[in-house]
Amino acid sequence: MNLRTWLIRLYPPAWRDRYGDEFEALLEECLHSPLDVLDIVLGAIDAHLEITYGTNWRLMDMVNKLRTGILMVFTGYIGFVIGGLSFYGLVDDSPTVPLMKTDIPLSIAWKTVGVGAVVTLLAVVIGVLPLAFTIIQRVFTSSRRDLRWLLVPLLAFLAFLVYGLFIAAIGNGWLSIHGVAQRVSPEDFPVGNRILLGGLFLVFVLGAISSVFAVWKVVSNAEATGIQFNLFSRPTHLNIYQVAFIPAFITSLGMLLMLVAALVFGWLGGSALPEWFRGNQGLLLINTGLSYGITIAIMTLSTFLAFFGLGRAYSSRKRHLAS
Amino acid sequence: MKLADFGRFSNPALLILSSLAEGPKHGYSMMTDIQSMIGVRLGPGTLYGALSRLEASGLIEALPAEQRRRPYRLTTSGAKALRQQLALLQKLASTGLERLAAQ
Repeated sequence: MNLRTWLIRLYPPAWRDRYGDEFEALLEECLHSPLDVLDIVLGAIDAHLEITYGTNWRLMDMVNKLRTGILMVFTGYIGFVIGGLSFYGLVDDSPTVPLMKTDIPLSIAWKTVGVGAVVTLLAVVIGVLPLAFTIIQRVFTSSRRDLRWLLVPLLAFLAFLVYGLFIAAIGNGWLSIHGVAQRVSPEDFPVGNRILLGGLFLVFVLGAISSVFAVWKVVSNAEATGIQFNLFSRPTHLNIYQVAFIPAFITSLGMLLMLVAALVFGWLGGSALPEWFRGNQGLLLINTGLSYGITIAIMTLSTFLAFFGLGRAYSSRKRHLAS
Repeated sequence: MKLADFGRFSNPALLILSSLAEGPKHGYSMMTDIQSMIGVRLGPGTLYGALSRLEASGLIEALPAEQRRRPYRLTTSGAKALRQQLALLQKLASTGLERLAAQ
């Protein structure tokens, strides 16, 4: 990427859509000194601050911000799912399971996580379906080149599936690798098996990150914002990002609820079973407390990302509705 | 919107309007014209910061692009705003000069 392209990329996308070509033509003739570079950087900062823009592309920037905000919420959700799976792995088959039969607050905390998981999943499905429908329709009708990006989630899923089958083949004794045991227990968990399981987690995380990146890319390129349909014979336009706002709001709240419940669970479980918390029953049999801490950190970061996106979406939605 | 509302872009905006008073020009022509007019070179970021504001407030309008260069021209309200601003500056200049002469 040359200096001109890099400098133009500093400007907001909507600004580039409107002025990018002519600005590049100008820079080809007059980009001479570091002072020009500084002037352009200041111009780009000014364009981001959107101080006096009353044009349509200000509106476009609001739509872009709404879209980015909504995508941030759902990206946060994917991060939270990774944290949630890790939390489930920590609790499953742990001494907290029999304890939940007698310890009601611990049981309520665990059930709250479960209810939160169901509610957020429903909200995500409701919020993402119209988005996915519109974007895929757009990709097939006018930007087929973006189909290659949609292959990324499929390939990521295939990679995860193949890796999972590979582990299952070892577990069933169809394959054997030196240093990897067919069966493991907390007392006998060889390094080879830890690496193998860690690899599965890594494939999952890398697949999730690359899939999110690919979806962001497709959504950014698609520039689709609405669905047209007839409601009682009247043509109606539905902004998919406006529609997705309420599910995004429920998703963020659900994540916060689950985070609080997971914190309460850890506090109650750690107090009732300190030996479990100090032991090595975490993921890949690392220290339970450390595993729990990593899980909570992932959940917290994901929730923070979701609320940041929600705030961004809320402010641009409010300004969009007011304009 | 008044030129004074353009903040740090009000002076560049006035220079652009003055340049376009001669006829439609694209970005680079405006830069060279302004430089030959008063010896000030506007940076590309400043030029387009002012241009976008002028266009947003309806004082100039874009014409169809010629290859990748897009010319702009004054609108009626742009010509009116330029006239008002120049009259104000003329009054300021004559008053200032009179006061200096009286010293």
